[in-house]
Amino acid sequence: MTDLTTLKMRMPRQVGSTAGRWVAFLLGLIGGGFIFVNIMALMLERGAFTLHDWLPLIIWIACAVIGGRLIAQRLPQRDRLLFPLALLMSGWGLVLIDRLAPNFSDRQTLWLAVSVAALLAVVYLPRALRLLRGYRYTLLVVGLGLLVATIVLGTNPSGQIGAPELWLGFGGFFFQPSEALKVILVIFLASYLAEQYPALRAEGLNIDHRRFSPRIVGPVVLMWGLSVVILIWQRDLGTAILFFMVFLVLLYVASSYTPLLIVGLLLIAAAGLVAYNLFDVVRLRIDIWLNPWVESQGRAFQIVQSLMAFSAGGIFGQGVGQGSPNYIPVVHSDFVFAALAEEWGLLGVIAAIACIAVLVVRGLRIGIMQRTRPFQGLLAVGLSVMLATQSLLIMGGVLKLIPLTGVTLPYFSYGGSSLLVNFVMIGLLLRLSAGEN
Amino acid sequence: MQFMREINRLLTGILVLFGIVALAAAYWAVIGPDTILQREDNPRLVEAEASILRGAIIDRDGTMLVDSQQDESGRVTREYLYPSMASALGYYSLRYGVGGAEAAFDSTLRGDAIQNDTTRALLQSLLHEPQQGADVQLTLDLDVQQQIAAAMVGQRGAVVVLSVPDGAVLALVSLPTYDANTLDANWDQLVADSGKPFFNRVLQGRYQPGGALETPLMAAAFLVNHSVDENFAQATSPVLLDNDQFTCAVRLPTMSLSLRESYGFACPHPFALLASELGAETVQATIDTFRLDQQPTLMDFETLPDAAETPQSTAENPDALLKIALGQGDLTVNPLNMAMIAAAIVNDGNTPQPYLLVGTRSPGAEAWTPAQAIRPTIPLATANTARHLQDLMRYTVANGAAQNAGRPNIDIGGHAALAVSGDGSLAWFVGFATFAGNEGAAVAVVLENSDDPGLAADIGGTALAAAQTALTPP
Repeated sequence: MTDLTTLKMRMPRQVGSTAGRWVAFLLGLIGGGFIFVNIMALMLERGAFTLHDWLPLIIWIACAVIGGRLIAQRLPQRDRLLFPLALLMSGWGLVLIDRLAPNFSDRQTLWLAVSVAALLAVVYLPRALRLLRGYRYTLLVVGLGLLVATIVLGTNPSGQIGAPELWLGFGGFFFQPSEALKVILVIFLASYLAEQYPALRAEGLNIDHRRFSPRIVGPVVLMWGLSVVILIWQRDLGTAILFFMVFLVLLYVASSYTPLLIVGLLLIAAAGLVAYNLFDVVRLRIDIWLNPWVESQGRAFQIVQSLMAFSAGGIFGQGVGQGSPNYIPVVHSDFVFAALAEEWGLLGVIAAIACIAVLVVRGLRIGIMQRTRPFQGLLAVGLSVMLATQSLLIMGGVLKLIPLTGVTLPYFSYGGSSLLVNFVMIGLLLRLSAGEN
Repeated sequence: MQFMREINRLLTGILVLFGIVALAAAYWAVIGPDTILQREDNPRLVEAEASILRGAIIDRDGTMLVDSQQDESGRVTREYLYPSMASALGYYSLRYGVGGAEAAFDSTLRGDAIQNDTTRALLQSLLHEPQQGADVQLTLDLDVQQQIAAAMVGQRGAVVVLSVPDGAVLALVSLPTYDANTLDANWDQLVADSGKPFFNRVLQGRYQPGGALETPLMAAAFLVNHSVDENFAQATSPVLLDNDQFTCAVRLPTMSLSLRESYGFACPHPFALLASELGAETVQATIDTFRLDQQPTLMDFETLPDAAETPQSTAENPDALLKIALGQGDLTVNPLNMAMIAAAIVNDGNTPQPYLLVGTRSPGAEAWTPAQAIRPTIPLATANTARHLQDLMRYTVANGAAQNAGRPNIDIGGHAALAVSGDGSLAWFVGFATFAGNEGAAVAVVLENSDDPGLAADIGGTALAAAQTALTPP
């Protein structure tokens, strides 16, 4: 009963006002209008008008209307911006994939519907957060099992020999377990740290600062080990770095121990140095990051073409279907941000960054609102940081700010597993925003 | 509230990082167009270049010479319709750039020069319309060019035909040449070719004049009132100079000839005597007056002479004047310049400045815009001298070494001569024809590695007859 009263006291801070409702509605309208105009422009450019080309828009509207209504019924006190923002970005992603790799358009549209369904499942599952928290070790074992399965049985949908084998395939249907592992890891860390944080804080803040206790060093080394395993066996630089950084940030939030971040970054640098000498893929990425121009026709072709796409887009962009982003190899997955820059220009880039940033800010805000519930708070922060880190890694990579790490740009890039997991994360944030215990 | 401080720090950090990403994107968006987009490995540059719908080139009669065809993907291919036009038109290649007339009128053909309408340009860039160039009409005549090319088969050298009095270039043949349609495939081979097919012999070539210098020397002789009837004993005997033997243009027994006859057979001995009589100063003044040491210009064509490319006399000579008078000194002359001298002779001593551009037609336009240019004639000789030279040259075609240039019912004058160049010899023909009214044509022919001035004269006659057909309305 006391729980209920405190719950009610927290509610007025939620976006439940009429203003929030209007902003959400407006976002939906903008998203729909944006997809409509861009598909129209693509058709004009291609000179072909078919009903089939409207499929992305039709599915998108269905997802928006049905998904929006069902979420509103179940969670009247939710954050109203999360779902429209995610839809806006994935709608933009559908346009991009339709433009860059039309053969993949139908598949991605289908994945959007599946993703929204998964989000609804998360939203409607009774006592979901409690279950996740309660079975965290089971979950972790399943996640690590998937990882091991990928290492043993992994394939690459392109069938290319030598390409990273990060997928599990079942009859033409491919899933990337590392994507699921992202959420599982955040849930596990949040629940683990929610229990451990008072002790961590005591260690970190009140006792000797120069001493690293096993309580802090232990998990750091474990997590670092997991990342290294991913790097070595999967040659998946992006996921490895992503996992480690998210873990580091969560540990920092839980322990409030700033030197952790420094030690963590040093560990990343050390791992990078070792990996540079051990793994060709890492050496390649760092070499072409330091000086792509000498190998612009060779190994650095992709990054040079990416930068040229940003330049060719200028401030206003070439217009959808009017640029030449297809010079960038496999532009529709890792380099979708560069294609966006060429066709929608700097204005489009800033809009896309703003969408992601607002989503992250809302997520962190949900974390702050959890007050006395450390698991919920850390979960919201973890999910937000996961989104932010992944976006920053790939955006910084295609802009040559940091070495390239092959991760997708959330919501925009082609990739079903990525889209699905990112919508599941929205589903979790929606529940947290509604004040679920 | 737990974690508040850490989350707020985190939020600030993340927003700063997003800001840095936005700034990096802005950096490339702003500085890129002037830096990395200008890199040669930017495929967009090639794509844009390949999609330019280059203007067509037509000849003076309106016959299409070069056309551009666009395929479905927007790529444009340039089609050169007549192989014989190659040396006159040059080439356009995505990989190797432009040459010849394609280079001289490049900005017009590309459409760079006509993009002055800003709203139109803005609309074009918004709609991503490929750049479209203007059509160009040239003074060249396909028939004249083709007839010369047919007569030149197997030869190396240069032929240029000017219309008089306006100076329009009717034909411009430089051999060996190349096929501009297959340029990309054969480029390396063409560049390595010892015949130097890209070297435009008409515009850039400089040749040893040899006996062809007798025409300016005659002009100098007229100025000091020399009689053409003056006799020279042993006129046909060869002149020995630096182990080289210089003879008349045709083989003749040793005999005495008048100055007129000596000119007619291009015999060197009388001209060696004439030069020493005129003196070095007068000879040099004549060379200056006829602008023989200068490189003529043809509109925007690249005419920079490359001394290493042209046959040059290398002999050291103690008697400089004799060498110069025989056309075997350091002085080399250009075929276009020789044609301009012939044009002056048939035009009261004033030579027109050669030109090639008739007009342009903007993309989408029906009407042609005539090329505006003031081209004053250049005085090379007095009208009196010019008339005397005309008579001499008519005599030469009627009775002398240039008889092969004669064509029935056409008034043709000319002069055929030999020059020694390196180990081989050159055959020259410089001539003119007059048509109805005050119309006429001038021609210069030079054949490399040839000791047959008769062939040069024959080619010149063919060129002049073709010019008459082209210029005279039926």
